Parts: sequence; C-alpha cells; structure tokens
Amino acid sequence: MHAETKEVVVTETSTTRSRGTGRRGSRGARQGNPLARLFGRIALFVRQVLDEMRKVVWPTRQELINYTAVVLVFIVLIMLYVVGLDQVFQRAVSWVFGSS
Amino acid sequence: MLTAFGRAFTTPDLRKKLLFTLAIMAVFRLGSHVPTPGISYELVHQCQKAAGPQGSLLGLANLFSGGALLQLSIFALGIMPYITASIIIQLLTVVIPRFEQLKKEGQSGQTKMTQYTRYLTIGLAVLQSSTLITTARNPWNLLGGSSATCPTIMNDQSVPTMLIMILTLTAGTGLIMWLGEQVTERGVGNGMSLLILTSIAASVPASVWAIHNQGWGKFILVVVMGLIIITAVVFVENAQRRIPVQYAKRMIGRRSYGGTSTYIPLKVNMANVIPLIFASSLLSLPVLLASFNRPDPGSGERPSAWVEWVTNNLSKGDHPFYMLLFTVLILFFTFFYVSITYQPDEVADNLKQAGSFIPGVRAGQATAQYLSYVLTRITVVGAIYLSILALIPLIALAMVGADQNFPFGGASIIILVGVGLETVKQIDSKLQQHHYEGFLR
Repeated sequence: MHAETKEVVVTETSTTRSRGTGRRGSRGARQGNPLARLFGRIALFVRQVLDEMRKVVWPTRQELINYTAVVLVFIVLIMLYVVGLDQVFQRAVSWVFGSS
Repeated sequence: MLTAFGRAFTTPDLRKKLLFTLAIMAVFRLGSHVPTPGISYELVHQCQKAAGPQGSLLGLANLFSGGALLQLSIFALGIMPYITASIIIQLLTVVIPRFEQLKKEGQSGQTKMTQYTRYLTIGLAVLQSSTLITTARNPWNLLGGSSATCPTIMNDQSVPTMLIMILTLTAGTGLIMWLGEQVTERGVGNGMSLLILTSIAASVPASVWAIHNQGWGKFILVVVMGLIIITAVVFVENAQRRIPVQYAKRMIGRRSYGGTSTYIPLKVNMANVIPLIFASSLLSLPVLLASFNRPDPGSGERPSAWVEWVTNNLSKGDHPFYMLLFTVLILFFTFFYVSITYQPDEVADNLKQAGSFIPGVRAGQATAQYLSYVLTRITVVGAIYLSILALIPLIALAMVGADQNFPFGGASIIILVGVGLETVKQIDSKLQQHHYEGFLR
C-alpha cells in the first residue's frame, strides 16, 4: 500500500517535467525546408531578445548623472594619487641608482 | 557627494580598508620602478631616450604593466601572467572533466582551482621572464632603436646573473599575485582589476596630455569622447532585467510572515569589463612574441614572415583584422564568462530552499531553465554593447590621429571606468552599512 502511493507520485512528477520542457512552442519551426526553419529560429530569437529588452530597467537621468560624476571623481583621484606616487618613486629610484 | 568621499574616510572600518588598498597600490607602483638586479638603470634610460616615444611595439603590454616592462623593473611582468593563467584555467574547466567536477564542489573546489591558477601563474612567469631576459640581451628589440643606439642594458651577462634576474622577475610576479589577493580579501574592490586600474592610471594621464601637442582642438575632442564613453559605460552597467521573486506566505502562530516580493537583478552586461581585459591581453601576446623575434634593424636583416604579419596586422588598433579579431574575442569571452560565473541551477536551488518562487514558473528545473533563457537573451545585447563600445574609441582615436598615444585603443578607458564603477559601488555599499546614505543616489 505504502509503496504503491510512492510510485504514483513518481510517475506524476515525471509527466509534469516532460510537459514543462516542451513549453516554448516550436510548432512553426517543424515545417518548411531547413533554411527557412533556420531563419525562422533566428527571427524568433531576435524577437525574444527584443522582448526581454523591453523588460529591462534602465537607469534614470538622475542616477546616470550621479554615477557618472562619482566615477569621474574617483578616477581622477586615483590618477592623481598614482601619478603623485610615480613622481616620488621616480625621483627616489634615480637618486639611488643614477649617477649624479 | 564630495562630503561622502570624506565620510568614507571617517568611518573607521572603511578607512582601514581604503588605506590598506592605497598602501598596496603604493607598493605595486614602487616595485614598478625598482630595477631588476643586473640591469643598469642608466643604460635603460639612455636607450629609451635614444629610441624616442614611439620606438617600441610593446605599448600594449607595457601599458598593462604600468610602464614597468620597458624599465625592466622587478614588477616588469606585472599582472599579465596571472590574467593569462586565469584565462587558461577557466577555459580548461570546459575541457577537463576533473576541473568541472571541482567547480561543482563549491567552495573547496574553488580553493583548489585558485591553487592551480597560482601554480600556472608561476610557471608562466618563469617562461615569460626567461624570454624577457633573453631578449634584453639585445635591448633594441625591447626598447626600439637599433644596436648602434642601444648596445646593451646589462652590466654582466653571465649565466648566474641571468638566473638571478629570472628568479627576481618570477618572485615579483608572485608578489603581485599575492598583493592582488590581499586587496580582494582585506581591501575594497577586486584585487586583480584594481591593480590593472593602477597600471592604466599610471600611463593614461601622460598619453592624454601628450595629445595637446597636436592642438587644443584635438585635446578637447578626445576629452569629450572620453566623457561620452564614461556615460555610456555607466548607463549600460546600471541596466538590469529584474526577475520578480515572491516569497511564500507562512503562518507562524497567529501572524503571517513572508509573502513579500523582491527581484533577482540580472545585469544586461553581467561580465563587466572582464571580457575586454581577457581579449586585449590575449591579443597582446602574439605582438609580444613577435617583438622578441625581431632582428636588429641596423643589420638590414629581414624579419621572418610571421613576425612581419603580426607586426602589420595585430600591433595597430585601427587595422580591420585586429578589430575583427577583437570583436570576436569579446563576444566569445562575454558569453563564456557569464556562463562560468552565473549558475542558474544554483540560483534556482537557493530560491527553492528559501521558499520563494518566480511567479508563473515552476520551482526547480523549470526555474533554472527560465533564468538561463533570460540570461542568454540579455547577454546577447550585453556582448554586442561591449564590442561596439570597445571599437568606438579605436576608430575615433585613429580618426583624430591620436592613436599612437593610446597604444591600447580605447579599451583602457573602458577598463578604467568599469573597474572604477565596480569599486565605487562596493565602497558605497560598505558606507551604507554605517550611515543611511552613501554617495550614489
């Protein structure tokens, strides 16, 4: 009795899974010559890409300005820091290794 | 906003991390200036002066090492061996079953992979440093010029001295690797990217400033172009596809918990600038090899066919073949990197364990399929965006005739912005743990 119920459950999940994978309809892609099928698939893919793009959340103008400014300041600061370091190290190294 | 930068330094925990990162960067720059034992500092400088500013083909590799390569300093190889090693190891995960198994093991497997990457880095460093030192015996190959203007840069060419030099360069690479990992662990941002940022930041200001010699109009044009690229990078880096997630409602006692909805953010460009770094460092390898095999221009000998081919086709950013190869590599690495770093199966599992689900999609297998479906489609746009963005500066800089000042094309700008944005975001999230508002938004 116990084993029987278990078996029923298992078959049920396996059927749902096979149904789940075939969800995206490829009815149109099955017919026609191979070339047409290929183009059909590409067209479908492009349509899906555009579809996903429509759901993308783009940054607002305020966010964009903010982030750009912060990144700009950050990069400039890093550059100043590194260039400053380089000046110091260059002098130090030429003082140690160069003949004056 | 500027006060937020100050506030980052007044938060004790964050200040420690920032200062640590800055200190590591300073050590990295110091090592890029200290000459390798056996190399004469003065002779190198004389050769560089004799060769002039555009004497060398190695601009790209030199940029990656922050100018250290052509000074033959102890950090001459820079972070390149580490990057190459991690590309190779990640490519191998697809090919070798054992690596794939390790990747599936999770944390412990990851540690093992990191270990392999380190070994391979040391191996590559030995290889590259021996090549570099052998080449340095004929320094005109490295620094430009000819045997007449630049006869030697070493005081002593005996075998023990050369072995010491190889040892020093290899050790330097190991040290850089360690510095990078320390930054990742105890500082802010990703260590490897941050060290690349440091190298690029060391040479970009000078090359941008050099443009003003060709007229202020061009200088302003380049700066404006830089600003546009920065904005474009920031725009797409912040674009997300938000996949709604619903938490299951539970009754505990008389209260109901959960039932809230959030989202999984999938960035349009999940791979950030990593594909760019990979593609441009891979493309610089043949140029590096070719310049090691260049004969002395003073002797009138013709270089071999492949050397000539590489020099003609790959050493210039505005050559059509280079652009084509660059684009293909970027597209490939974007998909490759996203597929390696983002595991839809894992995310689906986590969702199931947290008792949450994507509305309209079954938990488990179907969720993983849905996630990878969305991911593939937005990554198409992300990859195309990245390759176009990488090509714009290459073309534009060639058009204003400033490309020889940017050996790297525009990829350097994008890497700069990408890494900067990533680091700023990380600092910001740390800042928000202490104060309510950070400096973003």
